[in-house]
Amino acid sequence: MAVGVKVVNRPGSLGQQAYLPAIAEGLGVTFRHFVKNFFGNVTGQRKKTDIATIEYPEEKKAYPERNRGLHRLMLRDDGQVRCVACMMCPTVCPAHCITIVPEEAPDGRIEKRPMIFEIDELRCVVCGLCVEACPCDAIRMDTLDHAKPTYRRGDAILDKEELMSRGVRSTAVQGGVGAFWREQVAGQPQTPASGEVVPAGAPHGPTPLRDHGHK
Amino acid sequence: MTTTPITTTPTPPSSSTEMVTVTIDGKTQQFPKGTVLLEACNQMGAGVPFFCYHPGLTSPAVCRQCLVDVKGQPKPVPSCYTPVADKMEVMTKSPRALDVRRQMLEFTLVNHPIDCPICDKAGECLLQKHYFDWDAKLARNDGIKIKKAKVVDIGPRIVLDQERCILCTRCIRVCDEVAKTHQLEMADRGDHEILTTAPGHKLDNPYSLNTVDVCPVGALTSKDFRFEMRVWELYTTPSICPGCATGCNIEVHHSRGKIQRLVPRQNDQVNEHWMCDEGRLTYKRVHAERLAAPMSGGAPVDWDEALDDAGRVLRAALDAGSAGVGVVMNAQSTNEDLYALARLTFDHLGLGKAYLAGLDQGWSDDILVSADKNPNTAGAMAIGAGRLRTLLDLANDLKSGALHTLLVVGTHGVIGKDGAAGALPLDRLTTLVVIGTHRDEVSAAAKVALPLCEWAESDGTFTNRLGMVQRVRAAVPPAGDSLPGWEILSHLARKLGATMEFTEAKTVFAEAKQKLPFMKDAEWGRPLLPVQLRFAGSRG
Repeated sequence: MAVGVKVVNRPGSLGQQAYLPAIAEGLGVTFRHFVKNFFGNVTGQRKKTDIATIEYPEEKKAYPERNRGLHRLMLRDDGQVRCVACMMCPTVCPAHCITIVPEEAPDGRIEKRPMIFEIDELRCVVCGLCVEACPCDAIRMDTLDHAKPTYRRGDAILDKEELMSRGVRSTAVQGGVGAFWREQVAGQPQTPASGEVVPAGAPHGPTPLRDHGHK
Repeated sequence: MTTTPITTTPTPPSSSTEMVTVTIDGKTQQFPKGTVLLEACNQMGAGVPFFCYHPGLTSPAVCRQCLVDVKGQPKPVPSCYTPVADKMEVMTKSPRALDVRRQMLEFTLVNHPIDCPICDKAGECLLQKHYFDWDAKLARNDGIKIKKAKVVDIGPRIVLDQERCILCTRCIRVCDEVAKTHQLEMADRGDHEILTTAPGHKLDNPYSLNTVDVCPVGALTSKDFRFEMRVWELYTTPSICPGCATGCNIEVHHSRGKIQRLVPRQNDQVNEHWMCDEGRLTYKRVHAERLAAPMSGGAPVDWDEALDDAGRVLRAALDAGSAGVGVVMNAQSTNEDLYALARLTFDHLGLGKAYLAGLDQGWSDDILVSADKNPNTAGAMAIGAGRLRTLLDLANDLKSGALHTLLVVGTHGVIGKDGAAGALPLDRLTTLVVIGTHRDEVSAAAKVALPLCEWAESDGTFTNRLGMVQRVRAAVPPAGDSLPGWEILSHLARKLGATMEFTEAKTVFAEAKQKLPFMKDAEWGRPLLPVQLRFAGSRG
């Protein structure tokens, strides 16, 4: 049997067959977007443009509320670190990025405290297990920030003072003092001695950095 | 080493071997008459909880945590205080027994400050363990807990936390029954009852740290170990205390290559459940002032060069006359190191005698502590077999100029504590070769000093004062470049033209066992990896 030939007609008119009008149309769309985005950008009306990218780091996107970011160490009412060096977080840490050296606290009602508290943010896998393990609401990852790039690896190891500099006072119960979780009614703000308003249920909710004037 | 969740040590058969038949949770078993019911239950795997009971102490049955139902008894009975009886039927998990035990646990927890995050006992705490095993429910009690004193300095080695104390009186009984001094007492009544020192006393007896071991909670904590480490970070290796000739069986608890504490290991023939406070601190020397690298002429060199130098100077000295060459053994060395040294000294070098060094005699009592502060004097004497001379002889030989060359293996006590360097004029020597663990006067004076492993860094055996050959196991990696003594001596023997081919400590042990009568019945034991305490259950 001879092979049959089926003739398929080219679509449409000569104009369509030549493709040139379609090219011109396509370039027109491109040019329209170029004009809109370019002039929108240079005149400062970026929101009206179609640009999806952001100009990091000048411009930043807000992370979602439950983002796990850079660690911080929370503080007691008297400004001391809440951490009691119980070693729960280095025990649970899958990346072994937390180093704590405990010492005897000379004063105060809680006799143990960290002498050294270091987190290697390069090793950290941002799993958040340390926050879950902490019995004292001492370590949090709710800074809505991430580890900064550094020139040297050692600079990515954050020490106690740096971690505390991001911390705020927490009202969670510690050493028998403080609000008990059953008394913390959701949504009802509590005012600790410092006068700083911390939302109720603070141990479980994020407290964004920028609300406290930190950068 | 304890790997069972609750210590259920086999009760030694009482004088009468009469057996009684007991049914526990439906299973029938024969026990020697006089066995404590709690032991019987836990041998059957019932896991009955307890606080105040300790196999090495008397039972006052004060904690009421081990209550079990016995058929025919109107009330649950404290199993730690009840001997087994024939045809006894015991229900450890009847609803009533479970209920009273849970209520007792809740009662114990009413005033316990749940400060586990800062409590050193967390992880090996019986209260934690029983709570998670038997209750594990939220507290029903929101009331205010009774406050008691927290950091009470009750002795040179121990801190008391009265809030954590659950009033089990184990520590009081340790002082009374083990240390034979009444230094602790209960004071006040009801929920204000506290543990405190007896009037006019401090908790300073030489066995005081046993109270920390037996404390089921974190009421008594050791100042030495306090806040150093969480217990679940520790690994445990069974070993022998090097503190004296008693040879208490111990567990070496170590983490990241460093020993953190020594705790006693049960051996009814030697130390039962206990050890002295002094022995617990013998680990300190493992990590202090160690000779880390081979030294030749005062400068660190590598092993090959150091061994070459040591071999050369010793060979030259031997050629000049082997009568002027002396060898100093040490009663701190293991049987294996001593055997290798004896082979080199007596068999290969053909010397007729050696000197035995060791730490000076110290205090002793008739409980555990020996006056002989060396763990292996018995082994050294047996291996030396009459060819050993004292350090006094060594001093005389040095003064008379009879010796020009000395090989010292182990420097502990070579120069006495009272700084008797003048009594031992090492500067009379032309050649001093030291195989030593520490940077001390002897290794500093040496022409060649080779770093030697400490007891916790190498495998071997010690022979205690009873002649028992007990196994020491390497717990931590050797400091710096140090090597076990038998290995250094094998290398050195090769440099001296002798063949002494030992490949591991076990081969030295096997050969020594064949040749030495006192090691005839010794066992090397199976290989053992360190067990992490978090998987070993509570030591309680």
